[in-house]
Amino acid sequence: ATMAATKASKEQKYDRQLRLWGDHGQETLENAHVCLINATATGTEILKNLVLPGIGAFTIVDGHTVSGEDAGNNFFLSNNSIGRNRAQAATELLQELNGDVSGNFVEESPDKLLDNDPEFFHRFTIVIGVQLPESTCLRLGSVLWNASVPFLICKTYGLIGYMRLVVQEHTVIESHPDNALEDLRLDQPFEEFKNHTNSYDLDSMDKKDHSHTPWIIIVAKYLEKWLSEHNDQLPKNYKEKEAFRQTIREGIIKTDGGVPEDEENFEEAIKNVNTALNLTKVCGVIQLIFYHSSCVCRVFSLIHLPVRGTIPDMIADSQKFINLQNVYREKAMQDAAAVSKHVECLLRSVGKPPESISEKDIKLFCKNASFLRVVRCRSLAEEYSVDSVNKDEIASYMDNPDSEMVFYLMLRAVDRFYQQHSRYPGVYNYQVEEDINKLKVCVNSLLQEYSLSVNIKDDYIHEFCRYGAAEPHTVSAFLGGSAAQEAIKIISHQFVPFNNTFIYNAMSQTSATFQL
Amino acid sequence: MVQLVGSLRKELADSLYTCKVLVVGAGGIGCELLKNLVLTGFKNIEVIDLDTIDVSNLNRQFLFQKKHVGKSKAQVAKESVLQFCPSANITAYHDSIMNPDYNVEFFRKFMLVMNALDNRAARNHVNRMCLAADVPLIESGTAGYLGQVTVIKKGLTECYECQPKPAQKTFPGCTIRNTPSEPIHCIVWAKYLFNQLFGEEDADQEVSPDTADPEAAWNPEEATARASASEKDGDVKRVSTKEWARSTGYDPIKLFNKLFKDDIMYLLTMDKLWKKRKAPTPLDWTQLENKASPQEESPASGLKDQQVLGVWGCCQLFKHSVETLRSELREKGDNAELVWDKDDPAAMDFVTSAANLRMHIFSMNMKSRFDVKSMAGNIIPAIATTNAVIAGLIVLEGLKILSGELESCRTIFLNKCPNVRKKLLVPCVLDPPSKNCYVCASKPEVTVKLNVQKTTVLSLQDRILKERFGMVAPDVQIEDGKGTILISSEEGETEANNSKYLSDFGIRNGSRLQSDDFLQDYTLLINVLHTEELERDVEFEVVGEAPDKAPPPQSNPEEVNSITNGNKDSAQPSTSSKGQPQTRKRLSQKEKKNLHGHDL
Repeated sequence: ATMAATKASKEQKYDRQLRLWGDHGQETLENAHVCLINATATGTEILKNLVLPGIGAFTIVDGHTVSGEDAGNNFFLSNNSIGRNRAQAATELLQELNGDVSGNFVEESPDKLLDNDPEFFHRFTIVIGVQLPESTCLRLGSVLWNASVPFLICKTYGLIGYMRLVVQEHTVIESHPDNALEDLRLDQPFEEFKNHTNSYDLDSMDKKDHSHTPWIIIVAKYLEKWLSEHNDQLPKNYKEKEAFRQTIREGIIKTDGGVPEDEENFEEAIKNVNTALNLTKVCGVIQLIFYHSSCVCRVFSLIHLPVRGTIPDMIADSQKFINLQNVYREKAMQDAAAVSKHVECLLRSVGKPPESISEKDIKLFCKNASFLRVVRCRSLAEEYSVDSVNKDEIASYMDNPDSEMVFYLMLRAVDRFYQQHSRYPGVYNYQVEEDINKLKVCVNSLLQEYSLSVNIKDDYIHEFCRYGAAEPHTVSAFLGGSAAQEAIKIISHQFVPFNNTFIYNAMSQTSATFQL
Repeated sequence: MVQLVGSLRKELADSLYTCKVLVVGAGGIGCELLKNLVLTGFKNIEVIDLDTIDVSNLNRQFLFQKKHVGKSKAQVAKESVLQFCPSANITAYHDSIMNPDYNVEFFRKFMLVMNALDNRAARNHVNRMCLAADVPLIESGTAGYLGQVTVIKKGLTECYECQPKPAQKTFPGCTIRNTPSEPIHCIVWAKYLFNQLFGEEDADQEVSPDTADPEAAWNPEEATARASASEKDGDVKRVSTKEWARSTGYDPIKLFNKLFKDDIMYLLTMDKLWKKRKAPTPLDWTQLENKASPQEESPASGLKDQQVLGVWGCCQLFKHSVETLRSELREKGDNAELVWDKDDPAAMDFVTSAANLRMHIFSMNMKSRFDVKSMAGNIIPAIATTNAVIAGLIVLEGLKILSGELESCRTIFLNKCPNVRKKLLVPCVLDPPSKNCYVCASKPEVTVKLNVQKTTVLSLQDRILKERFGMVAPDVQIEDGKGTILISSEEGETEANNSKYLSDFGIRNGSRLQSDDFLQDYTLLINVLHTEELERDVEFEVVGEAPDKAPPPQSNPEEVNSITNGNKDSAQPSTSSKGQPQTRKRLSQKEKKNLHGHDL
């Protein structure tokens, strides 16, 4: 009873988000363990937005003690926490947001952990690294890459926000496309559907039944006739489709006076001719996925994908609608069963028990077969290496000297500054002038190293020195929202995450994504 | 506390210490906004919200915890923020911003007003107050993954009402009462029914068969059938639905048979309605009970709310919810009224079961409680992340306003994922005020088409002035040379006029009415265009505005904006989904502007 009560109260608490990612999406969140490195303002904002929707657990890794600046821009650190360990102090307050989440902390710097126990990071669903220096990013990046743990790097630098997603391969079953086409197979009707269509005889129906026959049946009927009269060729161009529509139009019942009746279902059929005639084929993205993976669906992919099993709402009486729906649903179940059988064989061949992939997952997979997506990011090593840097992407965006790409280059230059001087430019007021020149040197050496012939305006160098590595709260808040959203996509395997670099410019309220 | 000035210029940072700002709404965006403001250095903040905290807020409104459920949002938000930032000076009001206490003087105290609202009426009102007080306003909203922020400044930018918003969907009375064709019609009917039985009775929310349906004009020979049917119904007709229900002791089975059997049989006698439509099938409690199979209740996997109940399941839910509501009503004492609330389990169960039974009767596919809740409660999905992003953007726009850089302010749209141009955010230059705006133009004027012989003074006041033109307490004077007062906002002064028709006061085609709202400091001149040709159930039309249609695209976005917008989030309540395949929808900038999020 208490289990049921907890479930009901969760259902109520999470009602507004269940409407976006469903209870299975929520379940993945509740099973997730998120690691946050550095509880700065940006870090705690991200975590807040993950604790509220109810991730299972988080662990904060942070070797810093809380400073006055921290208390000033971080909602989850107060004056009382100054001098304490930042991971611990932030965990206490974040924990208060949601009793269902388990909060943990490690009072240690990520570098120390990487020295002593790199496998520590393998346990997480995702690792989010905030305000990390380049060297740590590269080290941790390679550890996580090899362990196939997604790594989300975030940085708030003055009025600039930066995110980088590093994941070898991320698969998405439910990509939730905005405008998915229905999967009706009218061009390649399956046996059961044909039989069902044949059970209708439009000519001998009474008026009420006639006007409550689902449009899918109507189109199928007239299409069959069309094919027999046109050498089995579907209506292809506008003219043929118009002619096909006309044949449907002529099927509308007429009054004794010869005036066509108002038959909304026929109107619907006419309106849907285009959709209905969509060819059943496997689109390029999906073909590519199947080609590149040892996919169990290959058996289908050569011909067609498993039937989705859903039909749109339409004018029809309940019984006719449900009967038609069942035809599609049963076919979908048969297809899923076939896939399931194949999965079983495959699993056995690799020595795994057949239940290691659940029936439920197979059904979900089949239902979404035409929406599958795979995101493959480049590694940080590839991005940073002189041999594999994506020069084309950088150079083409830098044709516009004010493109958000300039901020990416500036952030890289700032990292270089930090490597050389062990501090960020402009953090001490008395050094600002001096730092401008030093940062300029870093910019130039960066461009030289990658042989990039692009021009970076002095204004940007001044601006970045002025920032003094500040982390303004409201920019952190923005990034906190965006980064948490991406983390939820990764955890739930729903919706498609960005690939792979995101830049936000708070001055102009603009953003961009790049593949670096 | 060490205040990180960081990237703010010093003068700006200093001004944050002294300036006073108002946050309207302490919900999803409001909570985030309050946090951002104090941590950016704002010291003097007032916040107002009339709502109390609900469990379903806790997944995003992070200033609230379980122990706060039922308490004032504004008050708890203030206390939570002060715990973290004790130096802030925050005033909280647990009140409606439309209360006349918050007059133009009140608004003038602020350097900046930020809306974090969830409804159009309040947005319209704050818009007018800010115009009247000449205070800059930042307007915002979110819906699922989508969000937007814009800046409104009198005389410089469009106001909230410059672009007509599509009318909120209403349904003709006959469709609701006699001929529902979509699930939403049954849901609306069930909500009306709730009010008729347990809540405040409203003549516009009748649920019984509408004998005046022009479509149902009877042939004389069928009079007998009608008479016999209405005899059965006789005792119901004479007393109100509520009184009748009360007289049966809210007996669920009697209610059931009246609503789902007798009324439906009565509808069947109006046979003209069913010539082209599929006729409804009455339900009978005893019959259903006898053939109820126990396996119908087999709970499948997944959430309970997301399953569609069978007919008998709905019957039991109906019975159970009526019993619960009956005892709630009894506990409250004589003449008590319940208020429908989507988050009240019994009220929601009642609407779910009654709507589903009616859907079944009218041959529609039944819906799960989860879906009914979406549609009945106009639920818009809401998550922490989107609100965080939007609140971040609001403060940045606020900083620009306070540094006097209004020209660099933008309307910003947040997309679900980076668009084809790889942009997550789409900033657009602010448009200048519309010359024809019926709110912010120098002499606002509109033309309204109505029938002066059929429009009462009360419906002029409630439907036209309040509902349509967003006035709170209008005074209306006829420009007839004598200055006849038609409506006075002083209580009791013109009540006698309410039930009279406009023509009774000499109002005819071409008459001009001057309508004032003292609180909003707003005067609107209304030109009356008399007509006898309005569609059934349409009371009036505003000339030059096509209802339910998006305005033509114009505007000057900074970039060509051709993103496909995911405004059809699967959870978005859809009112007309009959057979419409989701086609690729490209929104123009102006259409997007009308996509107003509702999370507060």
